[in-house]
Amino acid sequence: MTTSTTTVTGAPELSLAQQGVKLGRWMTLPTQLLLVFIFAFPGAMIIYVSMSWWGPLDGVPWYYAYESLNWFDNYAELLEDERFWGSMWRTFIIMIVVVPVEFFLGLGLAILFVDNFALKRVFYSVLLMPMMVVPAVAGYMFYILFQSNGPINQLLSLITGYEIDLVWLSDPDNAFIAIMVADIWQWTPLMFLILLAGLLGVPEDQLKAATLLGANWAQKFWRIALPKMRIVMVIALVIRAVEAFKLFDVMYVMTKGGPGVATETISVYIYKVTFLELEWSYVSAIGFAVLMFLTALGGIGIAILANAQKKKRLADVVD
Amino acid sequence: MTATNRLWFEAMRYTLIVAALIIFLIPIAWMATLAFKPVAEWTTAISEITWLPKNPTLGNFEFIFTGETDEVVITLPNTATRPIFASLVVASLSTLLAVVVGTLGAYGVSRFGVGKNLPLSVLQLRLFPPMAVMIPVMMMWSYLALVDTFWGLSLIYGIVTLPFSFWLMKTFFDEVPREIEEAALVEGCSQWRVFYRVTIPMVKAPLATTVLFVFILNWSDYIIALLLTRKDWVTIPVYMNSLNTAMTGEMYGAKAAMGLIAAIPPVVLGIIIQKHLVRGLTFGALKQ
Repeated sequence: MTTSTTTVTGAPELSLAQQGVKLGRWMTLPTQLLLVFIFAFPGAMIIYVSMSWWGPLDGVPWYYAYESLNWFDNYAELLEDERFWGSMWRTFIIMIVVVPVEFFLGLGLAILFVDNFALKRVFYSVLLMPMMVVPAVAGYMFYILFQSNGPINQLLSLITGYEIDLVWLSDPDNAFIAIMVADIWQWTPLMFLILLAGLLGVPEDQLKAATLLGANWAQKFWRIALPKMRIVMVIALVIRAVEAFKLFDVMYVMTKGGPGVATETISVYIYKVTFLELEWSYVSAIGFAVLMFLTALGGIGIAILANAQKKKRLADVVD
Repeated sequence: MTATNRLWFEAMRYTLIVAALIIFLIPIAWMATLAFKPVAEWTTAISEITWLPKNPTLGNFEFIFTGETDEVVITLPNTATRPIFASLVVASLSTLLAVVVGTLGAYGVSRFGVGKNLPLSVLQLRLFPPMAVMIPVMMMWSYLALVDTFWGLSLIYGIVTLPFSFWLMKTFFDEVPREIEEAALVEGCSQWRVFYRVTIPMVKAPLATTVLFVFILNWSDYIIALLLTRKDWVTIPVYMNSLNTAMTGEMYGAKAAMGLIAAIPPVVLGIIIQKHLVRGLTFGALKQ
């Protein structure tokens, strides 16, 4: 980029902005390459293999899958696969129960932390700990807690005064509850963290003005804090909903989807078909269907977020 | 608020917070104490459950590190040393990859406005459940002979955590005042030199936060290592959960000891970067 070269070659000198764009292209290149690497090849592969009967035991590499091409038979099978729909349904139920519970517990805790009090920082740090525990380890923690001769039953006996001897992880309904408890334990701190950040972001002058006008605590919360927090809430809910859909580690460590298929979520189901039944072409079809489903869902999520942001801008203008 | 109301509120607040603390700490405490319990105390009848070990022992740690201990008759073929080494190597390398690529990309997008759709495409990586994406990745990895190698695992971890490093660094770069960079440009500094001589020193602390944050994520993975490792590069969570299948019955104490070792680094690092956790977890959408 020195001027001497331009005089020799006669090439026009790049402006600062053009130089920037050129450098910017180079700098974003590694990211682009990694994205292409992880989207394009596996994407093509999953679609290709999902339209065949190919499996790892066929003795031929995946690119020979065209030999057993069947177009959409796997997808037709998927539509009638009760285990698939069952696992989707269970994933959905967990999401629907766990995310709101975490949301309200987190919001409650966040409200307690808005103003200053003694030991606030210590409490805050400790409250965040569950979220930092490796999920597979958190799964193991709850695995030992929920053993029939484990401390959960003992605590329940202590509280109720009766000898409680519940079977947790090998009972279909109780195992489901145990898994939800583990997820709520681990991710309520995340909701707490995000919602507290939102509450602290509420403009203080508006709260002061409301106090001067005689607003009470509840009015300040409902009329000022909540509308200001709309985006924060949407972000918290979207992030947790997406993560809840991926649920695998905790559940796999605690129950392996069992007893039977009682706690089998979509991730566990895919894992089992991959490694126990080795139907890789069918797994590809499931994977692709799930990806399409989530892309659609993600589009809706982004639209909701954009809408909330627009509303906030309008609200800011009115203020 | 009147004085009595205030007092009531404070009492309520401490009661609720302490209750939450106890609930949050019970699972951690139970595993931590189990790690120091001898075999006889691993499982007990309901009426006899003890919270603190009656005869504290380091036998569980001895067992996972040396493969044998006086308390257990069986010996362990694979000790925990190798998985710990594997976790450290893979988490470090993948963090390096994610942070270098993410930082470069974020700066390109933040300063020069190239790749308008890049941030959203990167974010999309985070949307998909790893399980659904992993089948083709497994096929690809075995085709490229990357299964059960540290570079193979580091590569996929680096890609999976790229959204976090990219978005975190992007928000940090967006906040750096441009005047200093512009001054350096006027002085005749090239734009690349401005990046690594002026901007990078200005974001040293945020960069360190990003490194620690991404390291925690890479350290915490279970599912990818479960799919892409076999023997040599098994990471801590996979090793931990294989402990009971390798022998007769449950190795409660040994697994608890391993779990405790796995849990400590992210918790410590997490407390160090506490201030920026919100930003990291919401891809920079929020900060504290």
